[in-house]
Amino acid sequence: MNESVILLSLVSAVGIGTPILLAGLGEMFTEHSGVMNLGIEGMMLGGGVVGFWVSVHHTSLPLAMAVGAAAGAVFALIHAFLAVTLRVNQIVSGLALVITGSGFAAYIGSLNDSALTYERPISAFEPVFGQGMRELPGVGPLIFGHNPVVYLSWVLVAAAAFWLFRTKWGLALRAVGEDPAAADAAGISVAATRYIYTMIGGAGAGFGGAYLLVGIFRNYQHNITAGLGWIAFALVIFAGWRPWRALVAAYIFGALRSLGFSLQIVGVDVPPDLLNVLPFVLTIAALIIITARPAAARRYSAPSALAVPYSRESR
Amino acid sequence: MSLTLAGREVVVERRPLPPLWVRAAAPTFSIGFGLLLGAVIIWATGQDPVLAYTEMVKKGFLGRLPLIGTLVIATPLILTGLAAVVSFRMKIWNIGAEGQLIMGAVISSGVGLWIGDRAGGLLGIVILLAAGAAAGALWAALAALPRAYLNTDEVISTLMLNFVALNIMNYLIFSSFSSWRNIERATFPSGRFIDEALRLPRLSGRLHVGLFIAAAAAAVLWWALRSTRWGFEVQVTGDSPRAARYAGMRVDRKILSVLLVSGALAGLAGGIEVGGVLHSLDPRALSQGVGFAGIVVAALARLSPMAVIPVAVFVASITNAGPGLQSIGVSSEVVLLLEGMIFLCLVAGEWFLRNTLRLQPAAGTRAAEAS
Repeated sequence: MNESVILLSLVSAVGIGTPILLAGLGEMFTEHSGVMNLGIEGMMLGGGVVGFWVSVHHTSLPLAMAVGAAAGAVFALIHAFLAVTLRVNQIVSGLALVITGSGFAAYIGSLNDSALTYERPISAFEPVFGQGMRELPGVGPLIFGHNPVVYLSWVLVAAAAFWLFRTKWGLALRAVGEDPAAADAAGISVAATRYIYTMIGGAGAGFGGAYLLVGIFRNYQHNITAGLGWIAFALVIFAGWRPWRALVAAYIFGALRSLGFSLQIVGVDVPPDLLNVLPFVLTIAALIIITARPAAARRYSAPSALAVPYSRESR
Repeated sequence: MSLTLAGREVVVERRPLPPLWVRAAAPTFSIGFGLLLGAVIIWATGQDPVLAYTEMVKKGFLGRLPLIGTLVIATPLILTGLAAVVSFRMKIWNIGAEGQLIMGAVISSGVGLWIGDRAGGLLGIVILLAAGAAAGALWAALAALPRAYLNTDEVISTLMLNFVALNIMNYLIFSSFSSWRNIERATFPSGRFIDEALRLPRLSGRLHVGLFIAAAAAAVLWWALRSTRWGFEVQVTGDSPRAARYAGMRVDRKILSVLLVSGALAGLAGGIEVGGVLHSLDPRALSQGVGFAGIVVAALARLSPMAVIPVAVFVASITNAGPGLQSIGVSSEVVLLLEGMIFLCLVAGEWFLRNTLRLQPAAGTRAAEAS
């Protein structure tokens, strides 16, 4: 395979991997608090369409992204209320959120007077570095060729790893997800922690969705996320609930998405559908390996209280 | 959790069995609240909610054609609802009905095309549907075996398998020249049709016998969960796997059987869609989220097999009303949003069945203790 094709696929892997990474990082926080939110696909669509709407009416891209993230957080708030306060089954609540979020996006996107399908964002993300650095032979495009959101996602990965494993707030968060009764006894508010991190998860999904629509596709189509939200859910598991692994895994999943096109360029015809299967197959395989090998399980284990509602009375 | 309101403390109390009026009022109120939220959104986007709702009732229920449309949509939803009921009863979370339905449709359409015109009538139809159910069960087995013998989390594995199935189906129609695909229509990929003799008999218009198969499945499941040893063991294992093990029940086999039955029901839904409605492998029609909606239907039916039928019909009527809304200038997509919001409100409403709110004078120290 020729060198530029490899580079091209790596660069586009980073491109499509970034929204997966952003949504996955958010969900990782949510799951570390013991809440499982299956609604990522809905929050990405719902947050994404709101962010996109802003971007076609306003020049400020940061504003569009922030509004998208906020909308995602609002969707997540619904899940938090149902899962934490009312303690309903989190699977049911999350799936209802998927339907609501994608229904919301479909409705907003198809209104007659604002058919978003025909609109384009006013502004576009610009590369951060000058042309000289971007065109450095070899690593130039891969390291210096990206827009601010990609670099922000790298910062967020580092920040997430630091927050989760090096701060007392991260410790409190993981305590709530591992053993809420003990965390509660230590004076940590289980409900508040779960609310906050569920909303952070929604913000990540909304941010990722907005970036997908505003930064990558630059248009809106019905169900435009096409399962990326579910890949983000798989990402959290495949990465074993660890931020740095999520960075690598997101680009692997992204590469699988773009590999089909790259292979076509060099004349190898692999159907994209079969490549699309791989993230899910890899996640199942990882899961089976984890459960079959106790030694691996120690480094990959899910938060113990994941998807288990907490109430003092039923301790 | 407690809340202080105007000097009084709101106390949350659990209650074992709510009075009948609460059991009836909670879902009614929830649906009403969901519709109200929907009305606000429709109104906020400059459209007329009253007109939209009147039209939805007309397009969803009133008259022969709307009713038939609703029942046709309800048929697979009943079966995926039952698929969720049987596994959720044992606290095994099969959320892979979507993929099991797809594999059921893939295999039953494949078998149908392979049979061609060699076996029509009852025999052919039975083979077609049995192939769908078997395919759904086998697809579920991919998650069931690791769950039963390695304790691999079935929530994630069944969920992931949905997307594997979806991509397999897309591959067969969109990006290959498989025997499922109608090669003559290359520009607009679609599936080949199965022979006339293999299609489910129709009763009236588009209404086919699948509805009765689904209703019969509900009755059989109701009976099996209630009156057979298997149903008893499922209930005990769901309540306490440890107690079941002490009582000598084979928990791993129970997990396996429950997931296989669940997968078979979803696969049957796929077979019925192919035999009764689509007559070919149609990826667009088969990826509308019927499997996921079935989980919400099961939850709203409180995991009771017979209650799945009316709940599925209700949900189907909302879906069915969608395309009709276009004629009055309301976007048909609003039904998805409405469905989601009604689901969320109903799920929230369930809480009031298990709990009750009571006001009592706030006692400073006690309130602080209980918060």
